[in-house]
Amino acid sequence: MAKKRVPDWLNSPLWSSPSEQHRFSSAVPEPPEQPPSPPPLTIKQDPPSIQHSRTNHNHNHNAIAIATSSSSSSASTSSADENSHSRQAQSQANLLAELSRKVIDMRELRRIASQGIPDVSGLRSTVWKIFLGYLPPDRGLWSSELAKKRSQYKRFKQEILINPSEITRRMCNSGNYDADEVKCETRGILSRSQITHGEHPLSLGKTSIWNQFFQDTDIIEQIDRDVKRTHPDMPFFCGDSQLAKSNQEALKNILIIFAKLNPGIRYVQGMNEVLAPLFYVFKNDPDEENAAFSEADTFFCFVELLSGFRDNFCQQLDNSIVGIRSTITRLSQLLKEHDEELWRHLEVMTKVNPQFYAFRWITLLLTQDFSFVDILRIWDTLISDPDGPQETLLRVCCAMLILVRRRLLAGDFTSNLKLLQSYPPTNISHLLHVANKLRVQPV
Amino acid sequence: MVLVLALGDMHIPHRAPDIPAKFKSMLVPGKIQHIICTGNLCIKEVHDYLKTLCPDLHITRGEYDEDSRYPETKTLTIGQFKLGLCHGHQVIPWGDLDSLAMLQRQLDVDILVTGHTHQFTAYKHEGGVVINPGSATGAYSSITYDVNPSFVLMDIDALRVVVYVYELIDGEVKVDKIDFKKTSTSVPAL
Repeated sequence: MAKKRVPDWLNSPLWSSPSEQHRFSSAVPEPPEQPPSPPPLTIKQDPPSIQHSRTNHNHNHNAIAIATSSSSSSASTSSADENSHSRQAQSQANLLAELSRKVIDMRELRRIASQGIPDVSGLRSTVWKIFLGYLPPDRGLWSSELAKKRSQYKRFKQEILINPSEITRRMCNSGNYDADEVKCETRGILSRSQITHGEHPLSLGKTSIWNQFFQDTDIIEQIDRDVKRTHPDMPFFCGDSQLAKSNQEALKNILIIFAKLNPGIRYVQGMNEVLAPLFYVFKNDPDEENAAFSEADTFFCFVELLSGFRDNFCQQLDNSIVGIRSTITRLSQLLKEHDEELWRHLEVMTKVNPQFYAFRWITLLLTQDFSFVDILRIWDTLISDPDGPQETLLRVCCAMLILVRRRLLAGDFTSNLKLLQSYPPTNISHLLHVANKLRVQPV
Repeated sequence: MVLVLALGDMHIPHRAPDIPAKFKSMLVPGKIQHIICTGNLCIKEVHDYLKTLCPDLHITRGEYDEDSRYPETKTLTIGQFKLGLCHGHQVIPWGDLDSLAMLQRQLDVDILVTGHTHQFTAYKHEGGVVINPGSATGAYSSITYDVNPSFVLMDIDALRVVVYVYELIDGEVKVDKIDFKKTSTSVPAL
């Protein structure tokens, strides 16, 4: 039986010197049979050619000026730093150009954003909001949409994050409550009054607000514990400062409201990890208004992001077609398609069940396996890819496996498992390039 | 929103076998933050039972209590309110508002909880509020045989207290409530 050969592009010298030259080629991803990286000197030719083809799109002359100036600066040296700077400036210019249009071309924006969003002027925050369906493509509608959603969140907070004492007080106040101005006796028997709707704190009735409140307390405690443990190394999230405490409060509120609005999945450990990068990006938006409403924005974006992944969190669906097991199987299949030798070694010979490592990769969207900065970069691609976050995530996971294939092939069960459960730091753009390549690989 | 359970005068096992089943079914652990007990439990088993409901338990000594280590009076602060606890057999005449007001001024508390009369009462006076949760088992008292089981649950929320009175009348649990507020001065405005 002929063993499927490792495709040439996997063994190419591309891996020894990661380069981003291909990014400046045409919009269609190049087929893998093409020879590897063009030498770095050609970079100065590429940007002008792109500009020509895109002048129709790009009415912003500033972008061309920036690009040509950056390309001329990159021609003088060919170090990787310069390349990435110019690439960043280029992509920032492109993004700003795209975002300044009246109606945003989503496809174009996706293409630019999947190459990485530079960490300036709230670009990432705005772009993520667009892709997660929070901001519509038509810029004219932004302010009305934002106002609507933010006031909706405020209502949620008022209705949901309220304790039963408050509710009973409001119910009383709606009645004839004049005990504030009491019948000026200064001593005597206190008058008893009837309770409203049979509501008292020890009530065991199913519809009793008190009973529901107590049933929710254990979820609230769980959320509280998890939020306190989120990213303990980052002062933004953890510590005694006022900032950390208010951020934790915001995270808790979002998770509690989500749990109450979704009785089907409530809260599952790990949702706090998925929430953290979103909140970080939105809260650090330089625009003050956006930062002030970051809690509301994060809530809606979190709902949207999780909507594709909800089934992974529902325990009853674990074994079904949409559950986490089947997603892991799909990852396995993907690996088998692209690198059968590695697949066979991992699953058949060393018997490393993908559930041992892929479960955390998939349910937590890789937040536990990379540094925070890397997570933001990976999520740029995840969120902006037109295939959708679930598909892209599987490709990224597959790429993660392929990148360490030499070590995996040389290892046994224990070392492979250790390697995969604490994934070594790697060049992220390299990783995403491989993931991208997996998209066009023929079956 | 702090829930405080006030009860007492169970007189188990001498005058009553146990707290009524309907009360016990409502008193589940995890809901109540503090328990204050006026006294006359009388045995350790009742103490242990109350401890399972809530770890923060305060008891004062009644004249029939078998554990002599409970204090005669106790004061504690919950939220913005100062609560005082005393069994009440020391205050003569038993259940008299003026004498209890004297005790309240001595302890310097906003809410005084006493028992011994086995009758639920809630009085206010210039110095504060006096609450008697009655007898949780309906045991007969030194004064009367006609006693309904009762206890009190206070919901302390910032400057406002809602007192829920639970009574077992003819085998049914009846709940009433009493509201009062405290102004920012030390004297409750009622």
